[in-house]
Amino acid sequence: MANRFETTVRESADLIETGLKLLDGVFRQVRHSLQPDHERERTAVDACGPRNVDGAVSEISNRIVRLGTMTAPEDAPAAWREVLEDVRLCFTDVDGPRGSGRFGADVVLSTGMLAVQQALRGLSSHYTSPDGAFGTFVVNVLEVFDDAHIYATLQYREVIDRYRKRLERSPGDGAARVELARTYIKCGLYHDAIRELEVARQDGRARPKALHELAVAAFRAGRNGDAARYAREAMDLNESHPRTRLLLWLAAEKSGGYPADVPARMRMQVRSGRQPTALALEDVAARVGLDKTSGGRGTAVFDYDGDGYLDVLVAAAHGGCTLYKNNGDGTFTDASIPSGMDTCLTAFITAVGDYDNDGRPDLFITRNGFFSGECSLYHNNGDGTFTEVTAEAGLSGWGPAFTASWVDYDLDGRLDLFVAYNLGSLFERKTRNQLFHNNGDGTFTDVTDAAGISTEWPTIGSAWGDYDNDGRPDLFVSNSLGRSQLFHNNGDGTFTEVGREAGIDTYGLGSICYWIDYDNDGWLDLVQNVWSDSEDVIHTLEHGEGPPDGQPVRLWRNNRDGTFSLRSRELGVTGCWGSMSGNAGDINNDGYQDIVLGNGSPRMERVEPLTLLQSDGRRFHDVTFTAGLPITGKSHGVNLADLFGDGRLSLIVASGGAYPGDLLTVGAFCPKERLGHYLNVRLVGTRSNRSAIGARIRIDAGGRSQHRLVSGGSHFGCLPFEQHFGLGPHTQVVDAIEIQWPSGARQRLEGPIAANNTIRITEGDNRIEDVYASRGRAMAGPAELEPA
Amino acid sequence: MSPEERAEQRIGTVLPEVALASVAPPHAVWRLHEMAARGSGALLVFWSSVCSHCARYDQYLNTFSERHPEVAFAAIASRQSETIDDVRAALQARQLGFTMLYDPGSAVASQLFTQQTPRVFLVDAGSRLIYRGAIDNFKYPEDAEYEPYLEPAVESLLAGRPVARPETPSFGCAITSVYYTIPRPLKRS
Repeated sequence: MANRFETTVRESADLIETGLKLLDGVFRQVRHSLQPDHERERTAVDACGPRNVDGAVSEISNRIVRLGTMTAPEDAPAAWREVLEDVRLCFTDVDGPRGSGRFGADVVLSTGMLAVQQALRGLSSHYTSPDGAFGTFVVNVLEVFDDAHIYATLQYREVIDRYRKRLERSPGDGAARVELARTYIKCGLYHDAIRELEVARQDGRARPKALHELAVAAFRAGRNGDAARYAREAMDLNESHPRTRLLLWLAAEKSGGYPADVPARMRMQVRSGRQPTALALEDVAARVGLDKTSGGRGTAVFDYDGDGYLDVLVAAAHGGCTLYKNNGDGTFTDASIPSGMDTCLTAFITAVGDYDNDGRPDLFITRNGFFSGECSLYHNNGDGTFTEVTAEAGLSGWGPAFTASWVDYDLDGRLDLFVAYNLGSLFERKTRNQLFHNNGDGTFTDVTDAAGISTEWPTIGSAWGDYDNDGRPDLFVSNSLGRSQLFHNNGDGTFTEVGREAGIDTYGLGSICYWIDYDNDGWLDLVQNVWSDSEDVIHTLEHGEGPPDGQPVRLWRNNRDGTFSLRSRELGVTGCWGSMSGNAGDINNDGYQDIVLGNGSPRMERVEPLTLLQSDGRRFHDVTFTAGLPITGKSHGVNLADLFGDGRLSLIVASGGAYPGDLLTVGAFCPKERLGHYLNVRLVGTRSNRSAIGARIRIDAGGRSQHRLVSGGSHFGCLPFEQHFGLGPHTQVVDAIEIQWPSGARQRLEGPIAANNTIRITEGDNRIEDVYASRGRAMAGPAELEPA
Repeated sequence: MSPEERAEQRIGTVLPEVALASVAPPHAVWRLHEMAARGSGALLVFWSSVCSHCARYDQYLNTFSERHPEVAFAAIASRQSETIDDVRAALQARQLGFTMLYDPGSAVASQLFTQQTPRVFLVDAGSRLIYRGAIDNFKYPEDAEYEPYLEPAVESLLAGRPVARPETPSFGCAITSVYYTIPRPLKRS
């Protein structure tokens, strides 16, 4: 139940937001008058500590929270001494006249501005949290953002030592022992965790949490019978704990069902993902050589070596990128070392685009979206290798870059680049998003300010698409802990923020986003993933839909007048998931794009399925389990591609989480049988950018039209440029193909064009090239192709 | 490293000589080609004292020589900024008894295109590379999804059979990474 405070905050959100922004403006002005150059952008790695007041204030704030979470009350006096020492260290390298009144005022104002930013983020979170769930959400956010630093910089041993020292003094401190064990779990040391938790469970106060964590550790260790037993014992103490009930179900699923002594009230009946489908998927990753184990991150499918076959790049939170070369015979070879991509460490998201129009797709890679890092631009040398050219291109930068996308926003035939920044720590200031204009000589210029693209919110997702069909790509920005934004392209290098007018500027825990034309009306609609906490996910699993006040993935229908309507629930998209990734594609070849959601959260206890929402043209149906998808755990890097050139769209997913102990294996789920005819279309731009990013394709077949947008990457799964059209079981001929090129040219190819083929069309040339013709038609897939 | 050098280091080729001093007195030099030729082959594991992934394999590595006495085995500490004293302290604290070599400046890691720990190289008696990659898929043997990579390769080596899966992608902690040199005001100097 919402209390009066919660209700007041929600009803007054606009007013509060305006007030906070005004306050922020006042702080800014005062600081500016005191010290005009105090707000230098942080563009490089600092030598040995924060160099400016903002960085120091943020750092010390993070430190205080971390100390607070790890310090026992009796150790508080010692902790305060540590805080004072850290204050000294954090300000050691700060430029400026320390000790002066102006410096002191700057620290106060900086702290005030940080407080305002945090209040704005808190307001957004509060607004979108289900009633009574805000507290849990805050605790989760604190842990995730605070922990990211510890594990990215390998300071976990300091945490372990801290808890061990506490236990040396107080061996009976069950709470400290549980936290020590949780640290072990995050490192993947499950047996050590179980040892500590077996002791901690003797402490009556710590017993419920210890048993829950025992179930987590045992499940992670593959001891499913033990996990079920621990979860059962935990539920004896707290039957209403949904996360434990989920663990019990997961362990039971993996060990042949619930133990006989588990009473019905503790059992979970999973109703989601059970809708009927003819689709049957099988994981072929190990068979074809794509089964990389790592903390899953972004994937990209593209033809890096120009042999026509679609290759796969998998980024990794723990290690280097893996580049899999498609051999054209249904197998892949690891080409990471020969290509040089093995040196690309801790990559996050990859965006593919041929920025120099030399016919070879290049790569832009962000790093650690929840922790600061340097982005990288890799130039494709055309001989199977890549060279990092970030600095030469003028793209060096430092910050928590999350998504990146290629776009030709000014339609000059050259790909420009947009980089979206999240938060690198709990108390970090927003790093501004960046739009880089391609100068045409291998270099880029930051035009963010001139373009008028700015946001104060942490950004997770960004997607380019021409929503008003005026021929110019517009930008949707999906902000976490804030409002969404829609930037309309004015056609003169500037943008206007029209989110409010478009009805799309709602608060939310915005995650990644992408444009699709789900209803094939020729107007781009928008999918915006939003992130839900565990309780709503479990509700979805049990009920087949999220709670009434939950936040399902947002499916915005384009009203064709510059506005959008939220249609998720009417279209059957009712589940609430921790959706971090996703993509759309016609997996069952029926002519309607399906949606795949990659779900999860950094917490080690959190294990979720992928979600496959199959469209029948009217509604989406959750067919996850019916189609044969397993509980994948944590799904980043969801991608869809016809890897074998036979019309079967495979679902590739790089799974894994942020913690070193959360390593999972890449899955490649391929339909056992092709369910309908298809046509794959590749484009080559001549006046337009060579990758044809931003092109729109319409095909007419079987009495209906379908529409696709060639995307320049917008999130964890960078789709191939090849566009896959399902034609249904009866249509074997395409009547016409019409292409709206970014250059403005419109090209129409009249049929009949034979289906079940992969073709290439060059801008301004009406010949149709059969991509695989010279290679003996379709490649061998991982299994014999059954006739449709 | 040139593209040619990268392309040359394939499965089946002879690894370049690795000659590194042990961290344990009297710091004898361990030579890959010589050690591999003494028995059926040799195993090199790139390792770090602060790598949380390596810690998971403490027991496996501690008992490797006992299980496979025909295969010479050494770990290589290559991480940037990691001192010999750091390594020795970890060996003692974690009671690790296997041979530990020290790779100053991460030179050998760079020579063998190794970016993260743990990463293993298995060679036959002629120092030909027969397996490179991860030890397993980061699950435990009691897990139904557990897939060992290194053990089957060792068994194939000892049985004189070709290794069914000679390469897997490595995962782990970066040997050289900006994240270990960024400001750490929390660390006492």
